[in-house]
Amino acid sequence: MTRSDLAVSIAAMNKYYGNFHALKDIDLRVEPGEKVVVCGPSGSGKSTMIRCINRLEEHNSGLIEVLGIELNDDVGNIDEIRREVGMVFQHFNLFPHMTVLENCVLAPMLVRKTPRAQAEAAAMRYLEKVRIPEQAQKYPGQLSGGQQQRVAIARSLCMEPKVMLFDEPTSALDPEMISEVLDVMVSLASDGMTMICVTHEMGFARRVADRVIFMDRGEIVETADPETFFSAPKNERTRQFLSQVMGH
Amino acid sequence: MTDTSPKRTIANTPPGWFDNVRRRYFPTPIQSVISILGLGLLGWILWTLLNWAVFSAVWDGQASPETCRAAAGACWTVIAQRWRIILFGLYPFDQQWRSALACVVVVAMVVLSCVPAFWAGRRLAAVWVLGTGLFYLLMKGGLLGLPLIGEEKWGGLALTLFIFVATCLIGFPLSIVLALLRRSELPVISKGIGLFIDAVRSLPLLSILFAFAVVVPFMLPGWLQTGKLYRVICGAALFFAAYQAEIIRGGMQGVALGQDEAAKSLGIGYWHRISRIILPQAMRNALPATINQFVISFKETSLVIVVGFFEILASGNAAYGTGDWTFAYREVYAFIALIYFVFVFSLSRYGAYLERRMAVGTF
Repeated sequence: MTRSDLAVSIAAMNKYYGNFHALKDIDLRVEPGEKVVVCGPSGSGKSTMIRCINRLEEHNSGLIEVLGIELNDDVGNIDEIRREVGMVFQHFNLFPHMTVLENCVLAPMLVRKTPRAQAEAAAMRYLEKVRIPEQAQKYPGQLSGGQQQRVAIARSLCMEPKVMLFDEPTSALDPEMISEVLDVMVSLASDGMTMICVTHEMGFARRVADRVIFMDRGEIVETADPETFFSAPKNERTRQFLSQVMGH
Repeated sequence: MTDTSPKRTIANTPPGWFDNVRRRYFPTPIQSVISILGLGLLGWILWTLLNWAVFSAVWDGQASPETCRAAAGACWTVIAQRWRIILFGLYPFDQQWRSALACVVVVAMVVLSCVPAFWAGRRLAAVWVLGTGLFYLLMKGGLLGLPLIGEEKWGGLALTLFIFVATCLIGFPLSIVLALLRRSELPVISKGIGLFIDAVRSLPLLSILFAFAVVVPFMLPGWLQTGKLYRVICGAALFFAAYQAEIIRGGMQGVALGQDEAAKSLGIGYWHRISRIILPQAMRNALPATINQFVISFKETSLVIVVGFFEILASGNAAYGTGDWTFAYREVYAFIALIYFVFVFSLSRYGAYLERRMAVGTF
């Protein structure tokens, strides 16, 4: 497979915050349709890494290509990549001054110039997919955390992205709401979406991931299929992390 | 335990107004005394004011200054005799209907642009272009058989309203530009604009008005040296913008960083992120302070008197200052205060309405 056929290709990428070396020589290739779960202790750089993929963070060296487009200072490239890559955040980040429906149609109308009627029809389709169409006219502040996160997923899907990034999508949720969000993510995965998920939900990783990546101190320490990753981790740091996460 | 015990029944009855008054104002003897004294003082002030303004006042529009001076109360004759000077200043007497109509146009323009149904770019632009054009045609004339009347003759309420509206119309967009530049990622721009804002804010408005009226003309080419009124308005707008920029910047800081990131991740460009995501939320945060700034600016229009413009307060001075009515300054100032109150109070009420309206969808 040539590089431009990959969904995401990261090679020898480094990122510094001042003198702090946040990401060290990251190499990662994600094929179309692949589901990658990234885990690791807090501060290990996993969020920073996926935020580099759509330029919410700027990398200092190395090469990032998304869908064959090089991510560099070219604003046109950045815009093109952001149009094709959706992102779901830990804190949902819905626009509080707009209704759920307005949240969903805003980007398609502004960025893709989709006519309103068409954008609304598509939005309702995706809201049905995340099982929340009856809330379309409400404001985000009137929804529960789990509902808000499902709306956020629908909002991203409205741009018809080819790659979805999830940055700890269930970490800010009350325990009883986690499964409703994970269910939506599982169904998205079964539709063949390319997904890169930073998450601590090991059950989700086992069910859905093609590959699990473990990061620590800014490095990718271990990459394996979920079966191997959970039953026979090679690296000492991975074993330690897994015993802490799975231990209770 | 049953619900029918007498104690329970009493506790569940809402207290009547009489009980409420007794409990709040007369709970102990000392507090009762304080309440009665306070009430007495309030009654006395109210009575004195009413007596001066209504009962002992002279209401006859044709009364002579001598009758008026002899009366115990207010002399409203001066308003009847001199209201046209107060409202229109030096504007030629037989043309003053134009000035009055111009005031109506400005007020209508402001009221229309305060109605949510007009909050669309094209409608708002139409209201402003039409309103400003009509105001100009009426005030300045020189067209359609209306005699030309220069800005130096403008005065009174029309001038006050014109200076205020023009200041806000120039100053508000400028304040948004300044606030955005202040947040620029380029240190040269953000620091430079920060320095500029701080510099303007550390000068008194009076000195800025003076500078724009008197000093700036020396630095301009000859054809720009006329139009003192417009230079003064530019000075006032700059001052307004410096303060309002910091208010808007404060509002922007209250918008979570994640909002901008979410918009970026959806591929939304800079201008749309600012206009659709950041600014609407920032303005909601900044609304109380913004209304405050508008109120202050309205009252600060009276400072243009120092560079020789007869806005409403200066026209009031002229109304009692000449001839027979020099003793009647209280009545003139009370009348002007009432006019200020009507405008500023409406502004505050409108602010309160906006706050209620914008509260929709808040967390």
